[in-house]
Amino acid sequence: MIFNKRSILSILSCVLIYSSVQAAPKLPGNLEWITNDSDEVFASPKAVKGGKLHSFLLSFPLTLRYVGPDSNGSFRSAILGNKMALVASHPNTSGLFPSLATHWAYSDDNTTMYFKLNPDARWSDGKPVTPDDYVFTLEFMRSKEIIAPWYNTYYSDEIGEVVIYDDYTISVSSSKPRPRNELPSHVALNPTPRHFYKDLTGFVKKYNWSIAPNTGPYQISEIKKGKSITFSRKKDWWAKDLRYYKNRFNVDKIKTTVIRDINLAWEHFKKGKLDIFGLTLPLYWHEKATGEIFDKGYVKKLWFYNDAPQYAYGIWLNQDNPILKDRDVRLGIAYSLNMEKVNQEVLRGDYVRKNNYSSGFGDFTDLSIKARPFDLQKADEHFTKAGWSERGGDGIRIKGNERLSFTVTYGSDLVTSRLVVLKEEYKRAGLELVLRKMDGAASFKSALEKKHDIWWGALGGGDFPQYWGTLHSKNAHKAQTNNLTNTDDAQMDRLIEAFRSAMTTTERTDLAKKIQNLIHYQSAWIPTLETPYGRVGYWRWVQLPDVPGTRIGGPATSAFDFSSSFSTSDGGLFWIDKDIKKETLAAKKKGKSFPVVNVVDTTFKVAD
Amino acid sequence: MMSLFNLNPLTIKKINRFKSIRRGYYSFIIFTLLVLLSCFAEVLVNSRALLVSYEGNLYFPSYGSIIPGRTLGLGYDYETNYRDLQKKLKDSGSGFVIMPIIPYNPYENDLNDSSFPPFPPSFEDSHYLGTDTIGRDVAARLVYGFRTAIFFSLILLVVSYLIGVSIGAAMGYYGGLFDLLFQRIIEIWSNIPFLYVIMIISSIMIPNFFMLIVIVLLFGWIQMTWYMRTVTYKEKAREYVMAAKALGASNSRIIFNHILPNTVSIIITFIPFSIANGIIALTSLDYLGFGLPPPTPSWGELLSQGSNNLESLWIVSSVIVAMTLILVMVTFMGEAIREAFDPKKHTTYE
Repeated sequence: MIFNKRSILSILSCVLIYSSVQAAPKLPGNLEWITNDSDEVFASPKAVKGGKLHSFLLSFPLTLRYVGPDSNGSFRSAILGNKMALVASHPNTSGLFPSLATHWAYSDDNTTMYFKLNPDARWSDGKPVTPDDYVFTLEFMRSKEIIAPWYNTYYSDEIGEVVIYDDYTISVSSSKPRPRNELPSHVALNPTPRHFYKDLTGFVKKYNWSIAPNTGPYQISEIKKGKSITFSRKKDWWAKDLRYYKNRFNVDKIKTTVIRDINLAWEHFKKGKLDIFGLTLPLYWHEKATGEIFDKGYVKKLWFYNDAPQYAYGIWLNQDNPILKDRDVRLGIAYSLNMEKVNQEVLRGDYVRKNNYSSGFGDFTDLSIKARPFDLQKADEHFTKAGWSERGGDGIRIKGNERLSFTVTYGSDLVTSRLVVLKEEYKRAGLELVLRKMDGAASFKSALEKKHDIWWGALGGGDFPQYWGTLHSKNAHKAQTNNLTNTDDAQMDRLIEAFRSAMTTTERTDLAKKIQNLIHYQSAWIPTLETPYGRVGYWRWVQLPDVPGTRIGGPATSAFDFSSSFSTSDGGLFWIDKDIKKETLAAKKKGKSFPVVNVVDTTFKVAD
Repeated sequence: MMSLFNLNPLTIKKINRFKSIRRGYYSFIIFTLLVLLSCFAEVLVNSRALLVSYEGNLYFPSYGSIIPGRTLGLGYDYETNYRDLQKKLKDSGSGFVIMPIIPYNPYENDLNDSSFPPFPPSFEDSHYLGTDTIGRDVAARLVYGFRTAIFFSLILLVVSYLIGVSIGAAMGYYGGLFDLLFQRIIEIWSNIPFLYVIMIISSIMIPNFFMLIVIVLLFGWIQMTWYMRTVTYKEKAREYVMAAKALGASNSRIIFNHILPNTVSIIITFIPFSIANGIIALTSLDYLGFGLPPPTPSWGELLSQGSNNLESLWIVSSVIVAMTLILVMVTFMGEAIREAFDPKKHTTYE
């Protein structure tokens, strides 16, 4: 199971606190106010405003709320994208930049951040954003009425309080000290309009289809239930001239239509009724994205490498299985995992072998760790060392009455085509792999309950590596925990505890690397493949900056994730050139062609 | 008393009539041949050689344990790649290898570095129907998939008929409360959505071959009971049943020895269609992903691959042609059997 990174981020970033009515509290005198007006700008000065982007959704959202029942659908990120927070994270440098706050400061004990609010900030209904709206976020998120227990707990247990110093200064505290680079993701709240949610009683029903005021670049302007939703750009958006928001969010309207079948959506795209289409899957990029509209240059193709935190894609060996307990067996399995063959001969070499449990985390990632290569000789040595030297009549290794046979549990049809190749390769190594395909949720549940021998899948999410849930012995040998390998190792525990309490970045990166090396040594998690890139096709009237994307965010446009049009951090970089649209449509009628554009952008590609 | 297996003149007449319906008769012969051949698929379609002559020794690897590469002079402990061995021995002249007609098994991936599967049909590589999207031979998967489907269907047929016929006959014969009760049970049972049950079951466990039979059987026995009930009702009222009763025959003797032989024409008429239904059931379950677990070769899985990869026409066309042929043959057989057993042509009493 994969946690949606965006949703976790947004959960973390919309924190609130509650203010006690007191005599005006005093700001600590020694605060060091920080802002950011020097990082690179990632939008293009060539961008022009105007035009309409056509996008699609596979199903109509069940609600316009962003919390409460049924709110966790893919549409949610479009709502959250337009809910700005106090600060945003720079997609290339990962530093903070001003959003609703112009300056920020840290308390010495690493629990509290202070913010100077931008006096220009306005809700979409024209009302100013007040300090009280941040206080209300905490009240809102802690309210039982929103029927969101996870948020109730998070905002009660992890977040402290909001203190108002004056009309433009507040502080938000965390319930415990956190490293400085992680603190903002908890305390940089986004405000909630108190004037709109007067009474939360019956919230779930009352606000199901209401359009709440927001602070972001777009607001919903038209809803055709079951059919389409249109977002319109705010012409006088309060943040439009801020350094990191200038030249972004350019299209006037974004219309997203419900198309229930992906193949049908593809036909719409080919006719020019959708402007952008995600082509990351090999089938789309190599097979479907061919033909006239590509050959004649009407549609451009972009393969954009990014360097974003990756999920821990891999196979998870359950060490409570008596055979898998043996490290030599696990090493044998690692050496006979022929991922390279799958990638090179079935997946067209499009994927990249994952090397490290925590890849894409910048300084936290130890680039010197390399996945063990396919090597039957070494596999044999390790299996033999573990006592599995003999082979039965079917070529599978035996030890006494036991056969070297494991069930691999997985939850997606896409994986079947990889596993059937691996199964044949494993036969050569003398190991039998029994495939157990379940539906996605059932497969993850079976792993959570530790009923698997081997589980194929990924865990992850978040901007910083996390190890406690997946590798600490506290979470081993019990159901409903993420320690899918049942790792129960004193050294690992010590490292993880140190990592969790370390406050300086060098200490933390150092410990993270040690943990990664230990994971590699234990080999209970074996890396598979990752896709550190996004691929899209877009009609030539869609214009992109010179560097057509960002380090964390991927390509500047992505149709499967149309919400990226709104993300305050990295969204809305594209624009539409109406003249080119006219020219292209006219040319298409006459059969005239343009130069074919097929770009591979490696600006942010991590060297092999 | 009639007997099922004694060739009385009436039976001979029926067989002759069946033979005289040409397309049904030939379909029957071809179909039976295919089923028999599929039992020996290992010697026709296999990556294991039929015969290896190496350094004066003869090996027959088709059945039984694997022969590790080391035994045949290749430096590895896993199963010999006989296609490579064939090339090697041909070059060195130290022996020979005879491969089956289709030298691939349905599981192996025949991949290469220069291009990507699916590969189109090629006589040179002996992929007569090409490969699927992961480089497995389509013909091999068709053959083994046929074997699975046909035996699935036959076992399903026998068991569901045993249940359906017994219950149906009992309902018709005893009538009354027993009949009433079972009618209601069947009505309720047949209203349970079959597909949902399968989906639920296969999401919590992986159905294997026999479990799948049991699941399909749960809902498959119903149809036959209705027919049997009706016929038994009719037969029960005939004089020969009364005569048997008068002679003191037990109920089970009357049902199985007297009534059943007289309803056999109905049963036989339905058999071909039940076979077709069995094949279709398994294929659709596999197509939807609720059937046999991968990598079991199956027609449904091929069909689903084919329909997702219409650019590679050989996948979808192979399986559709194969399926159409089999189902047409079964239909012809069914038609001929129905003609041959038509009571209007044979009935000796009114």
